[in-house]
Order: sequence, then C-alpha cells, then structure tokens
Amino acid sequence: MSIENEAQENWQPNIVGFCCRWCTYAGADLAGISRMNYPPTVRVIRVPCSGRVNPQFIIRALQQGADAVFVSG
Amino acid sequence: MQRIGVFICWCGSNIGGVVDVPAVAREAAKFHGVVYSAEYKYMCSEPGQEMIVSAIKEHRLTGVVVASCSPALHELTFRKNIARAGLNPYMLEMANIREQCSWVHQHEPEKATKKAVDLVRRAVAKARKLEPLFESAIPVTKRALIIGGGIAGIQAALDIADAGNEVVIIEREPTIGGKMVLLDKTFPTLDCSACISTPKMVSAAQHPNIKIYTYAEVEEVKGYIGNFSVTIKQKARSVNSKCTGCGTCWAKCPTKNIPNEFDMGMSTRKAIYIPFPQAVPNRPVIDRERCRQFVKGKCGVCKKFCPTDAIDYEQGDEFVTENVGAILAATGYDLIDWTKIYGEYGYGKYPDVITGLHFERMVNASGPTGGKILRPSDGEQPKTIVFIKCVGSRDEAKAREYCSRACCMYTAKHAHQVLEKIPGSQVVIFYIDVRCAGKAYEEFYLKTLHEGAIYTRGRVSKIYPEGDKLIVKGADTLLGRPVEVVADLVVLATAMIPSAGSADVARTVGFTVDKDGFFQEAHPKLRPVETNTGGVFLAGACQGPKDIPDTVAQASGAAAKIIGLLSHSEIAGEPTISSVNEAICSGCLACQGICPYRAIEPKEIVERLPGKQVTRVVASVNSGLCQGCGACTVACRPGALNLKGFTNEQLLSEVDALCQ
Repeated sequence: MSIENEAQENWQPNIVGFCCRWCTYAGADLAGISRMNYPPTVRVIRVPCSGRVNPQFIIRALQQGADAVFVSG
Repeated sequence: MQRIGVFICWCGSNIGGVVDVPAVAREAAKFHGVVYSAEYKYMCSEPGQEMIVSAIKEHRLTGVVVASCSPALHELTFRKNIARAGLNPYMLEMANIREQCSWVHQHEPEKATKKAVDLVRRAVAKARKLEPLFESAIPVTKRALIIGGGIAGIQAALDIADAGNEVVIIEREPTIGGKMVLLDKTFPTLDCSACISTPKMVSAAQHPNIKIYTYAEVEEVKGYIGNFSVTIKQKARSVNSKCTGCGTCWAKCPTKNIPNEFDMGMSTRKAIYIPFPQAVPNRPVIDRERCRQFVKGKCGVCKKFCPTDAIDYEQGDEFVTENVGAILAATGYDLIDWTKIYGEYGYGKYPDVITGLHFERMVNASGPTGGKILRPSDGEQPKTIVFIKCVGSRDEAKAREYCSRACCMYTAKHAHQVLEKIPGSQVVIFYIDVRCAGKAYEEFYLKTLHEGAIYTRGRVSKIYPEGDKLIVKGADTLLGRPVEVVADLVVLATAMIPSAGSADVARTVGFTVDKDGFFQEAHPKLRPVETNTGGVFLAGACQGPKDIPDTVAQASGAAAKIIGLLSHSEIAGEPTISSVNEAICSGCLACQGICPYRAIEPKEIVERLPGKQVTRVVASVNSGLCQGCGACTVACRPGALNLKGFTNEQLLSEVDALCQ
C-alpha cells in the first residue's frame, strides 16, 4: 500500500474491507456523516452483497500486501 | 482501450478542507488509462456537471471517475449526467472521498490525501474494466394479489381497485374481515369496530375490480416483479356457488356445540356454519372434521334441506392460477399462547383469567354474552377486574422482547368500558410503562385514569384461586411494596405475534422475516412497505405489532406503491445482474441452491460438435428475479457466472489497485 509503515510502535495494519452496499457500506457512510474517526489505513471496496466476496479476492488482497481483510455485510 | 476522465470534487471545504484536492488530481492524471483529470468546487452543481459533459466530448472519454461523496448520494446524478454526453450511464465509477475519507480523517490531512489517491486509483482500475450495461424492459401485469383479507388487505384492495386495477384477495378463513371485526369499540374514538369494518368488507365484495377467494391459501408463487403466477389452493368448502346464504342448512344441522372460533370459544356453532352473521361471502362452510356426514359417513341433513342444491359433499380442493404484477402480504397477527408460558398465571387452568380478545367478544353487543361482562366460570358479573399488560411483550426472559404497541390503549379502553358498564366496579391495571403515542391517545388514557382506573406500576408474580375469587399478587414498584388484589376477573394483554402460517407465506412467496418472525421491510425508514423482493409489498401487523390506524395507513401506503408499479406497462430491469457464460458452464447447478431469490433455473442447450449435435444442461438466470447479489458467482466452480457491474475482473483489479 502507498502509506509507508512508520516506526514500529505507530504501525497501523493496512486493511482492505469488502462491504455490502446495503448495510456496512452505508454504515461506513454513516460513520462519516457522524464524523467518527478510524485509521486512514482502512480502505473499502463496495460489493453488492457480502455473498459476492469470493475467497480468491481475500487471498489476492493478502498476497498483494494487505495486512488484514475484513468482510462485512 | 479506455479513455478515462477523473473529476475530483472539493465539496466546498467538506473534502477540500482536509484532502489536498489539486494534488489528488495531479496524481490521478498519472494513472494508467487516464487521459483527463480535473477538480472543481462542486462537481454535482450545474457548472460541475457541464464540465464533465464537455470533457467527455472534447477528450473522447469512454469512462468517467467522479471522486466526491458516497455513491449512495450522487451515483444516479452522475450516471444521468454522463448519459447526456452520450456515454452509457454504467461507464461511471465513483470514489468515496468524503464520507469514507475526509469526514473520518479530518485530523490527518496528509494521510487522508494519500488515502484519497488510493481510492481514486481503485476507481480508475475498476473504470478500466467497465462495460456498457443496458436496462431490460420487463412487462407489467396490471393486477395485484393480496394475501390476507383483514382490514389491511381490504383497505389496500379498495385503494388499488379504485385506481382501476384488478385485485385478487386470498383469505385463509371462510370470511374476510380479519381481527378487526372481532373487536367491540376502537380506541380512542370508541366507534364500533364492526360498524366501520363490515361496510368495507361489503364494498370489497361488490367492487367490480376485486375478486375474493376465501377459505383459500397460496400454494405456489412463480415469476418476478410485474409477472407473478400464483397458484391458489381453494379448500373444499363443500358448498357450491348456488348457495344463497339463506341459513336453512346451519339451522337444521344436528351437530351442535362446537366451540366457535370467532367468539374465542365462548359460544358454539354448527358443523356447517358462517363465522358471524355479517360474514363475506355469506356462504357457509362444512367443518369436515366434525360433520357427521364426513366423520360417520351418514347424515345428509343439510343437503336434504338446502333449497338450491348447493351442498356438495364430493367437492375437493381446487387449484386456480392467477397472474399478477404485484403481491401484498397482509397476513396480520395472532396473540401469543400465554397458557404455555405463564405458569404463574395458571397456564390457562383458571377460567376467569382471559385475554383481551375474549374481553372484546364479551363486551361486544353481538358477542356471546350480548355485551355483558360476565365471569366465564359462573356467569356472574365481576366487581373487581385486574388487567395485566405486557403478557408476553417486553419480556425477554420468557417470551418476546418487543412492545406490542396496541395493548396500552386497548387496556385503557377495556378499563373505561368496565367502569361504564358495571356500576361500583373496581379496575386495577398492572403495567410496566403506559405508552400512548398516538393522536388523542394520551387524552384517552388520562380520561380513563380520571374515571377511576387504578394504575399500578409493576408486574404480577402470581395468580391463584381462593374460593370463587382470584388472588393477584404483584408489586407496586413506585411505592416499593407488594400488592395483593382479590379479583373476580383477570384480563391479560397478550403479545401480538406473526399469524400462524405466516412463515410459510414468506417462504412460498420468497421474502425474508425478522428475528421475531414478522415480515422484513426493505428499509425501516425509507422503504417501510416493500420487501427486499421486487414487486412484493407489506401492510399491517404482519410487519410488526400495530394498531388499526397505523395498519390502515400502511395499507394505503403499500397500495400507493403498488398503484405506482401497475401504472407502468413496462418497467426497467436492473442491469447489474448475473449472467452465465454457457460455453464454460458445466451444468452442475451449485448456483441454483445458493441463489436466495430462486432466480436460477436449468436450461437445455444444443451444441454442435464435429459430426453430431449434443444437448446439455446449463444454468440460466431469470433477469426479473435476480437481485444482483452475486452469491452464485462465488459458488460457480468453473467461473461461468459473473455479475455485471461487479465482475471478478473488476473486483480483482480493485484489490490490486488498493494494495499497491
């Protein structure tokens, strides 16, 4: 990912999130509307349903350098 | 090769105050496939949209990325916008740099800018793989089917029929009317429930656009929004259409003393009966489990006396198919069976512990006692009556967690009726809270309070008989001390639960229920009368506990939605649905079992191989039923299924772009 790791104690895992457009993605929007904060190393991919997430996508994200993946829907 | 234009929005200071927008635009210009990159204060404004249109024309763009707010807000706006410039509206991808970037990272502008660049890179990566999509035209059958002939179903049917559409009502009981016709007076106006609901039943029956099946159930539903084919099971009534409703049969029927369900078993009926005198249709039904003709094989009294030869013992169940464009589920509620749960109230062993519905029948002038409030045990007039609210509601430990909403008001109404009808009577009401949120509701409650109803805040822990009285032991939590009431009659306000068989209706029609078994609306606030299944709508207590005004309001709301749907001769089908690559589909049909919308069916195709023709089975997606969830694509082992707009290739390139 483009954000370089800072000193070890400040290390933030790069997280790719697969979020269902109907619930979690809308929830992430709500977090923004409510001005909640979370680390900028979380990046979300919008899917039509968590059922759309092929395990291959998760493996690919980890192979490509993501530290963690979350699927939510 | 795509030519992509990137447009980054400041959203005033919403994005621009945190994210370095010009820097993001400069970075975006370097991405593979991007031929134009620009930023503007408000992309969604008229000049902003014009900027996109002219850039598409000037730079011959084939795809557009807009980095701004959530696609939930403006995806449709920008789709229409690029369509104005002649692009396919689905050649748009949005990067959410407001809700999911500037607004959540407002204290970390540098990191937010980096994240915005990443999000734009993701959107560009997807945009490179976008393909034009086309909405399909689905024809609409201008008829509606309503499951449940209670007040919700009747109200919706009348509204839809008055708008000029045909309506089919299916009711499981021998008459329409539902629960409302059982009730005596309705709060807070105290108008007679039957007097306002039976004329509606008659209007529905006489309406030229409404067709009613009573004593019938939904057997099977096929099809999709605009095009449902519904098989209805018409249960054998044993009385054919020659019947005039003269009443000779039930007068002569020798099988007596069957508890009448309509009166909660407090009166009796015959084996051939109509549930109540105002039943619609006014046509009896034979209870085959009790009729001597069916049980013992001989009787025939009703057939002998029927002047129109309408009795048909040989009649079997019939199956009828109706084609409709929309379905409304209005299956209503039942009361929870408290006798299985509440041992402290006697598990139903004490005859003088009754439910609110029993009380309604009793206090009703056309009910089993002719409107007199009497103890079921000895027929005496009770002097002290205890009402217990929230029996089964708001009781996480033993029954349901939710509030049944109508009980506070009907209990206040019952108390008022007791105090009015029995001079010198005493009413004690045990409650958790008094919830009277409705027009003129609080006023009604206060009126009852001033009439002398004693509201005691607390639960009842035990009821036991002593002589011909019932001892009700509870607590007054406001005074902090135990209370004991010597009562003649106890009335329980029991929880509303989804009506028996409603889960089967949900399964047959194909929509979801919530944790309590109530039908799930598509959105609790913004789509309260729709289900997640296209063309299937909801009204009344099947969606959650409700009183009559809310039920009728929701029914008219659902009717408006259905009228809106039926006003089109065809509707646009969502193009982001699954498609099958038949060349590589192996026909295993793993997708069929996983599809929650039953949108996948097997299809036979003929293939030409050298020197011969081969017939084989492949999966086929019904574009009307598919809701575009993409679960099938994951189940597909050969990778023959793909979801348009969210293809494997698109999603993988997004992953790659985010993990760079």
